[in-house]
Amino acid sequence: MGTESVIEISGLSKSYGSGSKQTLALNRLDLSVMRGEIFGYLGPNGAGKTTTIRLLLDLIRPSAGSASIFGMDIRADSVEIHRRIGFLPGELSLWEGRTGDQIIHYVASVRGDARGIAKHADELAERLDLDKTKRVRDLSSGNKRKLGLVVAMMHSPELLILDEPTGGLDPLVQQTFHDMMDEYRAKGKTVFLSSHVLSEVQAICDRVGILRDGELKAVESVEKITNVEFHWVDVTFRDAVPAGLQGQLENMATITDVSTNGTRIRMRMIGDFDPLLRAISGGYVEMLHVEEPSLEEIFLAFYSGDKEKIQ
Amino acid sequence: MSGIVIGNTLRTSWKQILYWGLGLGVLGLYIDFIAMSPDIISGYADLFKAMPPALLQAFGASDLALFTTSEGWIVSIFVSEAAIFLSIFAVMAGLNITANDEQSGVMDVILSLPISRSAYMLERWIGYALIGLGIVVLCALITVAGIIGMNIDAPQDVIFKSIMNLYPGTLLAMTVTCLLTTVLRRRAVAIGASAAFVVVSYVFNVIGASAGGAIADLMESLSYFSYIQGEAFVIGAYDPVDSVIVLIAVLVGFALSLKMFVSRDIGV
Repeated sequence: MGTESVIEISGLSKSYGSGSKQTLALNRLDLSVMRGEIFGYLGPNGAGKTTTIRLLLDLIRPSAGSASIFGMDIRADSVEIHRRIGFLPGELSLWEGRTGDQIIHYVASVRGDARGIAKHADELAERLDLDKTKRVRDLSSGNKRKLGLVVAMMHSPELLILDEPTGGLDPLVQQTFHDMMDEYRAKGKTVFLSSHVLSEVQAICDRVGILRDGELKAVESVEKITNVEFHWVDVTFRDAVPAGLQGQLENMATITDVSTNGTRIRMRMIGDFDPLLRAISGGYVEMLHVEEPSLEEIFLAFYSGDKEKIQ
Repeated sequence: MSGIVIGNTLRTSWKQILYWGLGLGVLGLYIDFIAMSPDIISGYADLFKAMPPALLQAFGASDLALFTTSEGWIVSIFVSEAAIFLSIFAVMAGLNITANDEQSGVMDVILSLPISRSAYMLERWIGYALIGLGIVVLCALITVAGIIGMNIDAPQDVIFKSIMNLYPGTLLAMTVTCLLTTVLRRRAVAIGASAAFVVVSYVFNVIGASAGGAIADLMESLSYFSYIQGEAFVIGAYDPVDSVIVLIAVLVGFALSLKMFVSRDIGV
């Protein structure tokens, strides 16, 4: 990760409507994204992630504040900025009646190097296992997403802005995408990636910004976020929850929020699984389900009193 | 301006020239065919004699004597009917300039590319203006070809020019629709407003031309249909100022569309 900032946001705000109907979608955002890093922009739906991205792309105009990309103003220099970035929208819409090849050729033409870009697009499509000859209307949502990724990446941009990039992609393609992001990082390029999936951000990002209700609550390294990670664990017994198990679990330092419902016991757990597995070995375990915490829970754990409780 | 968007617009929408041009051309051939039979035209003339002048005006003719000539019949009927059909095309084209892509979300991808909003809108507008031109030229050629093929005694150049005179009004309806989509944002509302613009303009023209007085004159002058001078070509009274007025309105409307589109949020 370099020391030069690629994205510089200062006091950026966006509100919609007016008077009593005014909604503040983004509130005085300050953020720097450095060259060569993969920055994860995390937040629940409606937190303001897409609004930030649309502001950066000059699709919508800020109510206050400013932002620059590559040191250029996002409004005044938008054409030059767009020449050097690639963008994948969260809700991707493409020309339904046209084939992937036609769309790639058109976008590449607007970018000014149809032949060179199309060659790279072929390579990307092959890696993502995308059939470019099909019309968009005949593509599954996952394949549309792949086409969107090809369009965003085919000119090897210095900065990639990706809004929920892996939604609809199958696990194998997600892995390919993660590899591509690693390659981007290795080439010193920058990625600004929004997501509400923590595991995705953990897998590929260097730093994470956590957005909530339009406000940036924190910018942390992925390691720091990972340290506060916990899991929800559901154990279903064939017969009944063994007597005294709930009390035993409640006394364990790494387990909290234990509740029993029939033959099922649910808890929140951090750290290793071994103590839990030993504790439940007295009964016949029919099902063990481990659930990733929601972003909101991670957020609460990280920034509220829960932080002390789970660490 | 690279012209890439113009080329892409023509590549993806050139069939509209065929569909609309051929459709209107067939209408022209039908009107040519009737022009071969003076009895039918005389029958229409007798019918109109018994009706209020407004009805004749609705058919695009103000002079019954002229209406009974081959060229008067062809120009009056074809131009008045084609003007309505071309207005429908113009509204659809106006929506296609930016509104449909904005509504579908494609505009987010387009405007993330290295092309300014103004260049994109200008190229789209030019693309659809060329398609509109292609339609008018094609239907004019087919209509004139019908006159030649059916051996009708009518001045072909006059009829060609009178049909081509539909073009400025078509551009205006397209531009007004484009402007309304940039101002009103919601596509459905813009469609309604554009349709209202065309219908009100048509009604103003009919009322203005058939009634007398200052208010009627004002109504007529506000209608873009009144600047489409089919008959004027036939009687040699074409005034290019009328076309210039419409083209100035087109330029002003497009400039306002650009200003709105460049300054507002997209897709909100």
